[in-house]
Amino acid sequence: MNLLGKLDWNAIPLHEPIIMGATAFMVLVVLVVLGFVTAKGAWLYLWREWLTSVDHKRIGAMYCILALVMMLRGFSDAIMIRAQQALAAGGAEGYLPPEHFNQIFSAHGTIMILFMAMPFVVGLMNFAVPLQLGVRDVAFPTLNSVSFWLTASGALLVNISLAVGEFSKATWWGYPPLSELQYSPGVGVDYYLWSLQISGLGTLLAGINFVTTILKMRAPGMSYMRMPVFCWTALAANLLIVAAFPVLTATLAMLALDRYLGFHFFTLEGQGNQMLYSNLFWVWGHPEVYILILPAFGVFSEVMATFSGKPLFGYRSMVAATMAICILSFLVWLHHFFTMGASANVNGFFGVMSMIIALPTGAKVFNWLFTMYGGRVRFSVPVLWSIGFMVTFVIGGMTGVLMAVPPADFQLHNSVFLVAHFHNVAIGGVVFGVMAGYNYWFPKVFGFKLDERWGKASFWCWFVGFYVAFMPLYVLGLMGMTRRMQHYDNLSWQPWLIAAAFGTAIILVGVVCQVVQLVVSIRNREKLRDVTGDPWNGRTLEWATASPPPAWNFAFQPKVAGLDAFWSGKNRAQATKDEPTPTRKYEPVEMPKNSATGFVTAFFAVVIGFALIWHIWWLASVGVFGAFMTLLAFSFRRHSEIEVPAEQIARFERAHQAGVAA
Amino acid sequence: MTEARHERAPGDRPSREMDASAPSEFLVYTIGLFVAVLLTSTSFWAANTTLLWPGGVFLGLAVLAIAQMGIHLVFFLHITSGPESTNNVLALAFGVLIVFVVVAGTMWITADMNANMMMPSGAPMSMRMQH
Amino acid sequence: MNVAVAIDQIPQDALPSASEAGPAPKRIVVAYGFWIFLLSDIIMFAALFASYAVLVRSTAGGPTGAQLFNQATVAIETACLLVSSYTCGLMSLALNSRRRLGTYLGALITFALGATFLSLEMREFSNMIAIGATPQRSAFLSAFFTLVGCHGLHVALGLIWLIVMMVQVAVFGFAARVQRRLLCFSLFWHALDIVWVGVFTVVYLMGVSL
Repeated sequence: MNLLGKLDWNAIPLHEPIIMGATAFMVLVVLVVLGFVTAKGAWLYLWREWLTSVDHKRIGAMYCILALVMMLRGFSDAIMIRAQQALAAGGAEGYLPPEHFNQIFSAHGTIMILFMAMPFVVGLMNFAVPLQLGVRDVAFPTLNSVSFWLTASGALLVNISLAVGEFSKATWWGYPPLSELQYSPGVGVDYYLWSLQISGLGTLLAGINFVTTILKMRAPGMSYMRMPVFCWTALAANLLIVAAFPVLTATLAMLALDRYLGFHFFTLEGQGNQMLYSNLFWVWGHPEVYILILPAFGVFSEVMATFSGKPLFGYRSMVAATMAICILSFLVWLHHFFTMGASANVNGFFGVMSMIIALPTGAKVFNWLFTMYGGRVRFSVPVLWSIGFMVTFVIGGMTGVLMAVPPADFQLHNSVFLVAHFHNVAIGGVVFGVMAGYNYWFPKVFGFKLDERWGKASFWCWFVGFYVAFMPLYVLGLMGMTRRMQHYDNLSWQPWLIAAAFGTAIILVGVVCQVVQLVVSIRNREKLRDVTGDPWNGRTLEWATASPPPAWNFAFQPKVAGLDAFWSGKNRAQATKDEPTPTRKYEPVEMPKNSATGFVTAFFAVVIGFALIWHIWWLASVGVFGAFMTLLAFSFRRHSEIEVPAEQIARFERAHQAGVAA
Repeated sequence: MTEARHERAPGDRPSREMDASAPSEFLVYTIGLFVAVLLTSTSFWAANTTLLWPGGVFLGLAVLAIAQMGIHLVFFLHITSGPESTNNVLALAFGVLIVFVVVAGTMWITADMNANMMMPSGAPMSMRMQH
Repeated sequence: MNVAVAIDQIPQDALPSASEAGPAPKRIVVAYGFWIFLLSDIIMFAALFASYAVLVRSTAGGPTGAQLFNQATVAIETACLLVSSYTCGLMSLALNSRRRLGTYLGALITFALGATFLSLEMREFSNMIAIGATPQRSAFLSAFFTLVGCHGLHVALGLIWLIVMMVQVAVFGFAARVQRRLLCFSLFWHALDIVWVGVFTVVYLMGVSL
């Protein structure tokens, strides 16, 4: 019996220089970071304050950090794809062999959607939602930590696949029969399967957490129609998570059963049905993209209202549009495979539904425009990202509605026109949204603003770079170029692909500007310090706290009487500023205790995943046992909360008020 | 007291049941069991009887199953339509909607695709491709 | 006055509705969260049911459901699970009245009935495998074993959970968190019976009669 399953030294691709170079770089970065932490003597601090934290603010920040790191990996994949396609025209082979190229586009899609966009969006929701709702934490703080660490485990497995073994070559959605054992006998698809299952579980648990928090834990007086719009979009997105991710779990499980135990769900033998996979995958896949975009819409609503100095226009219609999109997003999934065998009736139904879903989104766009109209708009970095979004996303949405017409889609499906469309909405919508949120909430998270000039530079590079990179792809799609081509014969395509590569280079400058922005902001943090807690003259409750907020968020539970609770509070304070402040007696506050459960469970999840990928069955059993024991130990702990003494709260509040007054 | 204004936890007995006129909780569970046994027996009968045409069997089984699920929800899980249960019912309705869309949608789409892939002889393609 | 206090001073309505009453008590929050989890689990089962429905005729020349299923066994399994749901309800009643003996007894009978269900099901599976009706034989059998097996796996996990809960009753008594967790357990157990109603109807009864 082989103790290491399929694992041996051949798993490390020593003969592939590009992969070994990337691996070496990754290992170097990891060592530098570990060395830096050691040099600062910060291990205990890191463990106590971050790794075992169950504070939604810390967890939210960690999600966003994970997303930014994985963005670099996903973007490197993008650069490599564009470079290869710019070079490999006519008889040229480029520099990436097909085996490698296929892994790169599969990894690019998987990473960008599941390990960049999802964590970023979940991170923003994690940080902002409890603060906006006026409560101290989410419904299940330790579960929140488990969710984050499971997501990080999935990301870790994807990164391990670079050095040990290979990644999937079957695209980011893994259609059978290509993804079945017969045509993908290596470990690539298994890396894909298990990293998605593990992080998918984390996401599902986060969805449950947030639905419960938003529906059952809001400040007194905050009825549903007094919640900030970001919380409504968070509710819709998390309802979609709860509804859609179980389908992904089932689908990937069935593929895993085919690969591991010889089942016949999707195989060619045994009367398996390959289209069943496509169908079920997209039942998850379409709601997934709405899970990404809805919180981005929420960010834009907050940003537009704040920086226009006006309440959001059409609150009720925003809420209605959000919930309509939530339901409708479950009724359009077949548009991802119009061309794959369904009849006109079926295509017609889903085509019409796909067009209908554009309507509530359009209503939202008008509401944002009307919010700005008549307001005193401050063109801060978040507002630039928002305006960039409006233009870019609308174009992307229009090309989507174009392809929602089945006959048109028969021309454009699987061409780079489709690639341009979804990047148009994903970058213009999701990325611009998380960048706006990142700049908007950064001062609240870390206590100092991000540098404005480098922020604007990064926006313009991303904005211009996006158009230069993707508009050529629309043209190429109409010229007939299929997606995922490692090389091509049609030389007239090459100039467009060179232009696209050039656009990618401009985006790269934008990414570099963002890195510089962060470095410069940290260096100048005292000058950029947010002393009042309200750097933007905000409207919602998160701005009523210090920057960064204390662990307990609010010294006293806020009571809410209307929309934009903080704004009305400020007006009231202004109106009554000559009245003496009644002295408030601070009460001790119970906060959830930190726990290593999340981190340790994730460790075992990585063990289980790696063991299953390499067929090391005894190790997988050890992992399952370990995870079970961890949960058991957690369930038997006697104390789940610590009490924050009133004196500590009083001290913090006094220091904060002194800073505000100064 | 604010606690009284909050909705009921799913699975918790309704607070109105606390007064003497309401049926005892033990009775609620027992009635639920009795009706469930009845529905189950009827289902087994329907599956084996010759009195019904096949479409009727299918319909009967479906209706009996849905009825029994309802009995479980009301008698064992105490899901009622009262105002203190609104969030629980709404969540359930959302779940039922998604289940319906996923199952009905999948069946419609795959049946449609299978029909389009049938060879003239009527046999599905994969049966002819023996590997 | 400062802003935090000013927010607080806003006059409130006399009797807030449920949506304005502030954060709910922990029992409600925990049970509702578990309810949402259960709905997600049922959606996962729905995907497996959908796959079963699609693949039910894909027998690849192998045995069909009508040839394999034994209605007597299914009837006994159904009775076990249904009665165990009832005894779980009785256990909840004992728990709410803080009767230790009633709680242990209800749990014991529920466990015994659940374990009987599982052993009958495992025997059914091994009988099928022995005659060559393995999940590797056809898509139909893959779907059958996965759907019914997934439900059985949930039952097994429930039984483990029940044991752990009884240990917690012994260690912690009727502490609030033990009560919350047992409330979640009973939600889980009843939901499993609801799924089983779907399984025995769609898989077994429709399998033998249609």
